[in-house]
Amino acid sequence: MTDSETTETVLDIRGLTKSFGSNVVLDGVSLKVGKAQTVCLLGPSGSGKSTLLRCVNWLEKPDQGSVYLSGRRIGVREGGHMAMSNAELARERARIGMVFQHFNLWPHLSVIQNIVEAPIHVQRRAKDEVMAEAEILLDRVGLAAKKDDFPSRLSGGQKQRVGIARALAMKPELLLFDEPTSALDPELVGEVVAVMKKLAEGGSTMLVVTHEMSFARETADEVILMDGGRIVETGAPGAFFKNPKTERARQFLQRYVS
Amino acid sequence: MTWNAFLSLLDGAGLTLLISGAGILIGVPLGFALALIRWARVPVLAPIAAVYVSLLRSTPAVTLCLLIFFAVPTLGIEIGAWTAGILTLALVTAAFNSEIWRAGLLNFPADQLEAARAFGMPAGLRLRRIIFPQLWRVSLPGLVNEATLLIKASPAIAVIGVAEITRAATRIGAQTYEPLPPMLAATGLYVAIILVLVGLQRFVEKRYGRIGAQA
Amino acid sequence: MSHGFEIVWEHSDRLVAGLVNTVVLSLLGAVLALMFGCVVAMMLMASNRVLALATQGVVDLMRCVPFLMLVYLVYYGLPQFGIDFDNWTAGLAALVLYNTAYMAEILRGIWKNLPRETIEAATAFGFQGRRLYTRIIFPQVFLAAGPMVGNQLIQIIKDTAFLTIIAVPELTQAASGIQAQYFVPFAAFIVAIFIYWALCALVEAGTFAVERLAEVRR
Repeated sequence: MTDSETTETVLDIRGLTKSFGSNVVLDGVSLKVGKAQTVCLLGPSGSGKSTLLRCVNWLEKPDQGSVYLSGRRIGVREGGHMAMSNAELARERARIGMVFQHFNLWPHLSVIQNIVEAPIHVQRRAKDEVMAEAEILLDRVGLAAKKDDFPSRLSGGQKQRVGIARALAMKPELLLFDEPTSALDPELVGEVVAVMKKLAEGGSTMLVVTHEMSFARETADEVILMDGGRIVETGAPGAFFKNPKTERARQFLQRYVS
Repeated sequence: MTWNAFLSLLDGAGLTLLISGAGILIGVPLGFALALIRWARVPVLAPIAAVYVSLLRSTPAVTLCLLIFFAVPTLGIEIGAWTAGILTLALVTAAFNSEIWRAGLLNFPADQLEAARAFGMPAGLRLRRIIFPQLWRVSLPGLVNEATLLIKASPAIAVIGVAEITRAATRIGAQTYEPLPPMLAATGLYVAIILVLVGLQRFVEKRYGRIGAQA
Repeated sequence: MSHGFEIVWEHSDRLVAGLVNTVVLSLLGAVLALMFGCVVAMMLMASNRVLALATQGVVDLMRCVPFLMLVYLVYYGLPQFGIDFDNWTAGLAALVLYNTAYMAEILRGIWKNLPRETIEAATAFGFQGRRLYTRIIFPQVFLAAGPMVGNQLIQIIKDTAFLTIIAVPELTQAASGIQAQYFVPFAAFIVAIFIYWALCALVEAGTFAVERLAEVRR
């Protein structure tokens, strides 16, 4: 249906389950994201989207199931059932960029320092090279003039653009977006969405949890609707938004798309 | 260490409590007076009170104790070691207490005072009937906390020979040539006293809320 | 009648020598206590419950002990284990040991209230172990710690006066010496007290300056 069979698979999630106490948050979720694809996860709050995202880089440890990034299993050592050590996990996490709902910039570091911090101190790359790249990234998100400011001086939209640049600086194989525009004032959503669109068109591989339907409709290669910890419907955005297959999707769209 | 030696340590503990208690009894109202003077911006007195608080808050109790014990007699006033000790602790704790009282006064809701004024209450009555009944509850946890700090500062008065816990312990150590056992026993006594005060503080915090207390 | 200020002035070199010792002891004590305090704070925040609780017990106990008692315990206690210090070093050791507990408690309090999100972001970006502490956690803790560490430094300066009792040649000891020799108690101790005042005012000014730098970084 989509071109995911023909392109190389970057992220492969198989049968993920996760419970908090007696509350089942993920109930056997499987999905794939192909190279240079943008997949949007939609669904009402509490449907398990964010938990799914956090299971990808093991910020939450799933109870069952597996996550493969470019064919390498995350969280579990090769072959066996041995869990990865913190150091091994950290190495895998450094292959994935993450953008957070509340930005989560490091307040003690300036904008440019936020961007180069992990490439220099986690990936151990050369400082000169990373700094030069960071300047280019800042230019791309339109914040070159703010490079020496501290996060406390930025607007929400600016913070999130720094957050995106910070994730990109890791040269990640996959970008995770956890409701990147939900904490923004409505008039600031546009500037962040514009940056994300540019990324999607530029060939980044992205898994995006969002309530921004226009972004999903215009940019996604595939849309996934979750509810109650399960995937309810999967499809190309054109088909999904015009002719949803399931009753649940119809209800959801009625409520969230004006 | 003999049983008698331990008893003399207990005597020392009694003296520590007595002298610290006397210091607190003088220091708490004195601190309140200082706080009122600054809060009401009494001319001439308010800046003096501010300087006093600032100075005493940075003065080591040991140094102040030596000053009082040796300098007061040069003014022709006889002063015993106990009196000098009580005075030292009272003057030190008054400075810290005044900051606790003042924080309570500064945070006192202005609309209540306005209401009292609107009912024609004179200043003295406002203070007695409206402010103080609420202020002491707010300030109590902070005051108990300061009492704990005062007990920890009280060994300072050992320098002028007051036979409180620390002095008693060094004396036993000097007599027996084994200073460590009496020191450990003395430390245990302090820990016991302070744990009781910390328990008291938790109790008043739970009972009267946490405002005004500082770690 | 002279108040003896000219005698104190004549012997100001002794006060200056005492002041230097007070300053060196305070700063060295504070810096070392802060360093050890970081380690103890990490133990207090350890996910190992037994370690965290045991450390908490020791820290709480230390905070119940008057500083002078600890000075005596170090001064008389350590030689019994075959460790022999001069008085100056014993005083410094007591300062460091005592204030490590206070510094650890200060750091832990701030650490506990640090926004969890910034640490989670660091984890997501591959920080872990030593680098997570040195690059992400402690810089944020230190930026918030200024005023409380400043307060503790003032407490340390005042605590150094206790060291006169084990004859460490600090400021109060110097003032005592001058007063004992020439019997000028008022002048000698008042001058010392004003020097302490100036020192503490200096610390407060420094704290204020650090706060202004830190403000934008949180």
